[in-house]
Amino acid sequence: MRRRMRKVALGAAASATVLTTVLAGCGSSGSSSATTNVTLKLYNDKGAWSPFFTQLGAVSKKDIGIGLTPVGYTDEPTYQAFIQASFHTNKKPDLFTWSTGGQLAEIARLHQVANTSAIWQQGIADGDLPKGLEQYYTVDGQQYCVPLNVAYWGMFYNKHVFAKYGLTPPTTWAQLMHIAQVLKSHGVTPFYETDVLFSFVWFEQLLVGTAPDVYQELSTGKASYTSPAVVNVMKMWQGMINAGYMSDPADKTDPSVQLKDGQVAMVPDGSWFNTSMTQQNLKPGVDYGFFVIPNVNPALPKTSVILESGPLCSLVHAPDPAASMKYLRWWITPAAQQPWSQSRGDASANPKVAVHGDTDLSTVMKNAGEGKYNLLLRYFEAAPPPVLAAALDAFGAFMVHPNTYMTQLQTIQAAAQSYWSSHQAGS
Amino acid sequence: MARRRAVTGARVLVLVILGLIWLAPAYLIVVNAARPAGAYNPAHAWVPSGSFDLLANMRRAWDAAGLGESLGSTLLYSVVSPAIAILIGALAGFSIVTLRLRHGFAWFMLIFGGTVFPSQMLLVPLFVAYSRFNLYDTRFGLILIYTAISVPFAAFVMRNFFTGVAFSIFEAARLDGASTARIFWRMYLPLSWSALAAIFVLEFTFTWNDLLFGMTLAQSPGVRPVMPAVSALQSDVYAGTPVPVALAVGLLVSLPAIALFLATQRFFTRGLTLGQL
Amino acid sequence: MTTRTPPRLTTARAPGRLTAARKPSRGHHDRALFGRFRHGYIAPGALLVAGLLYLPFLWTVYLSFTNYDGLSPATWAGLANYRALLHDPALLTAIRNTLIWVGGTTLLPVGLGLLVAVLSYNIKGGAWLRLPFLLPYAFSGAGIGLVWGVLLSPGGTLNHVLGFFHLPGAHTPLLSYAPLNTVVLIIAMTWQQIGVNTLLFVVGLQSIPREPIEAAKIDGASGWALFQRVIWPLLSPLTTVVVGLALVASLKTFDVVWVATQGGPGRTSETLAVTMYRDTFVADQYGYGSAVAVLLTVVTGVVSVIYLRQQLSRRERLNG
Repeated sequence: MRRRMRKVALGAAASATVLTTVLAGCGSSGSSSATTNVTLKLYNDKGAWSPFFTQLGAVSKKDIGIGLTPVGYTDEPTYQAFIQASFHTNKKPDLFTWSTGGQLAEIARLHQVANTSAIWQQGIADGDLPKGLEQYYTVDGQQYCVPLNVAYWGMFYNKHVFAKYGLTPPTTWAQLMHIAQVLKSHGVTPFYETDVLFSFVWFEQLLVGTAPDVYQELSTGKASYTSPAVVNVMKMWQGMINAGYMSDPADKTDPSVQLKDGQVAMVPDGSWFNTSMTQQNLKPGVDYGFFVIPNVNPALPKTSVILESGPLCSLVHAPDPAASMKYLRWWITPAAQQPWSQSRGDASANPKVAVHGDTDLSTVMKNAGEGKYNLLLRYFEAAPPPVLAAALDAFGAFMVHPNTYMTQLQTIQAAAQSYWSSHQAGS
Repeated sequence: MARRRAVTGARVLVLVILGLIWLAPAYLIVVNAARPAGAYNPAHAWVPSGSFDLLANMRRAWDAAGLGESLGSTLLYSVVSPAIAILIGALAGFSIVTLRLRHGFAWFMLIFGGTVFPSQMLLVPLFVAYSRFNLYDTRFGLILIYTAISVPFAAFVMRNFFTGVAFSIFEAARLDGASTARIFWRMYLPLSWSALAAIFVLEFTFTWNDLLFGMTLAQSPGVRPVMPAVSALQSDVYAGTPVPVALAVGLLVSLPAIALFLATQRFFTRGLTLGQL
Repeated sequence: MTTRTPPRLTTARAPGRLTAARKPSRGHHDRALFGRFRHGYIAPGALLVAGLLYLPFLWTVYLSFTNYDGLSPATWAGLANYRALLHDPALLTAIRNTLIWVGGTTLLPVGLGLLVAVLSYNIKGGAWLRLPFLLPYAFSGAGIGLVWGVLLSPGGTLNHVLGFFHLPGAHTPLLSYAPLNTVVLIIAMTWQQIGVNTLLFVVGLQSIPREPIEAAKIDGASGWALFQRVIWPLLSPLTTVVVGLALVASLKTFDVVWVATQGGPGRTSETLAVTMYRDTFVADQYGYGSAVAVLLTVVTGVVSVIYLRQQLSRRERLNG
């Protein structure tokens, strides 16, 4: 027994050493750089979109001779740290995704990101990019990056539940509250809310529906979280919770499952939620629909719609700046945007593109392109990271104890004050 | 005699009851991984569905996550790194306990102290250092870090295990003229097969399940281990992966570790002879 | 190579036959008995750990004295971050939760692990009876989070179980209130980690020599007395390993909490490692987060040294 064990141990050690040396040599490093076939590496924090990126890579290979390999990360904080660290190394990304808002301004001001003003001006002239989106990609008068994706936030609803109680999508807030009342009286929870990650959704929706200017000013530090408009929103939110309109925020069940089963009738979410729905074999227009959430305050001129847009960026010192820019230029054209949007069933930044088979979404996209909405940047991007972190925690705590809204607002305001006292205002 | 049997019976009973409780979440995982992708309902999570869609879900996850290339490299890391770490750890333990290294406790704390650091903070400096020394995105680089992480645990277990081996064994062998190296290889290592097996199984599983280091220090499909791709399916909100598929991929990827646990069962049934204290 | 029946060492000071004849200098004696290359045995481990684990952490220590935000060059902040630590209410909550984790982990996973190991050792089919406790460790990450999400959801399985046994908490959303959410998460972690402890305790049981047990049985000891007087002391090398590892792991608790609640709601379930991660990577306050990291590391290091010093010197006294 001993001799055999000894032989096994020796053998294992020997093979380990040999294996290490042989296979270590086979470890690949860096991107392929043959002169005829260029493949760009796209670092992204949307690890789940890797198959879609790969599909696009095949299309771009045919169209402009440049392929695309996604390198996906799933943990957003780790991804950000990684990208930021990579600026100081020789392993810079060809292309990478980022966040609009303050995050984009930060890396633009460090002169790390490639200027895309020319692409934007051309794109707007050609009708490939909507003018309304330009401001979110502008820092100090110049544009950086192009839109990777655009999503509009609205209300997904279960058509079967609506039909059962004779309800139709509302056009005013009063109608929406009436719908909630009807559902509640029949034992159906009207709205979905969660206390992790997306705990800001109702806050932003109620605020842009009452005082969109205050919402904008919050993101530049010009307004306070304890101002009357904001306090008002929390009171409204508290009212809805106390009326029993909200789902249990601690329930970790996926919202698509809750909506599908009719556990909840409506889910406020970004249009990318379509992907979740179709993965559950639900059909748009048949099983579920999507409508824009009406303003709380009917006196506002335009319906406020929350916009989520992530940039696709290239670096000034990218490994192959010319190829990266060429890719960005191609990305905004319908040749790229049509398959990109269609494969995920989500909106596109390009107004010429429509999603076949989803009328609700296509209507919203068309209206947005024609400037019918007041588009506001999602809170997740609009708030600076320390303020966002404080806000997410505060909203989560609020949902468990709704009567503590004043304390929660004060906590967020403290974080905001501390941030803006040491940073220049301006997104 | 009857009392002994009664006691044994009681032991088995307690273990069975506890075991069933312990299996409950595992049952949930398996039942829901086998459910058709669109049929998940948390209210009925305990009821098995009529159709057994486990393989279909696994195949769907396999295609979506592109697991093929990463499995081979993950296997490499999970086998090689623990093996090297066990060797290094056993050497360290041997030198501290049996060779009575001067300031042994300090040396031991130095090595064990490696586990004290929170690994999330190591990610960025390691990434920067790896890219400077061309270790980024190499299999060697990953083997290196996985080995480094595994050494403290291995050293701790082997060090304490060796204290149970009678020192007189070492002395007698030295008197016989054996070199310390020979004593280590031919006597102490074989004596410790149980501890070696336990460390290997645990560290294989730990390395196999690693997410952060593999995600940060590598990017090519053939170098990155399997967990980053799996995690993309399971935890990314934008993926919209149905729960059965997410559970199926989790199960699929757990199979090697489960198989290893099953295969090494026999190492943990017999007593060892370490000599008297 | 022949093996002789080893002589019994009775006291710590009993010298081997090698040193009985003369008293050379310690160095000579050591080299004669232990060979010339003792340090060579420890070098690979020490170098690997120092280079890949200690060195990168120095960067964190440096950052704790700055106001780094991940992008713009770091500006020196002196002890400002450490002073801020003293005034952070979230940190107090994190410390409290971490202490609960330490207490809970030394009790549950360690205690249950020992129980399972002892119950299943040396009985027929014991290895198979142990299997349900080992397998959870083999399951990978996020799938477990999904399942425990179902179990811990409001009105979920655990609520039903509590109601069935008429225990309090049947209608409480278990993850929403502190410190209940911490306790519940400890249960979830126990489910996963018990296998590690069980396995290590089994190794410990395997290495207990038969003679002391036989001798005690002849003296009439059995059952609990046998365990307490003979088995437990002889198990102590591996017990030290299990408890030592549990101490370190519980102080560094991160994964379970982050997946389940992300430290929420309202930062009530944060542990020190979660606070560290949130401040560094989510709030982009690398300086402050690094200070928390340094605090966490120092605490873990001190606790480990104290515990191990006490354990290992006790063994040295018993062993020679």
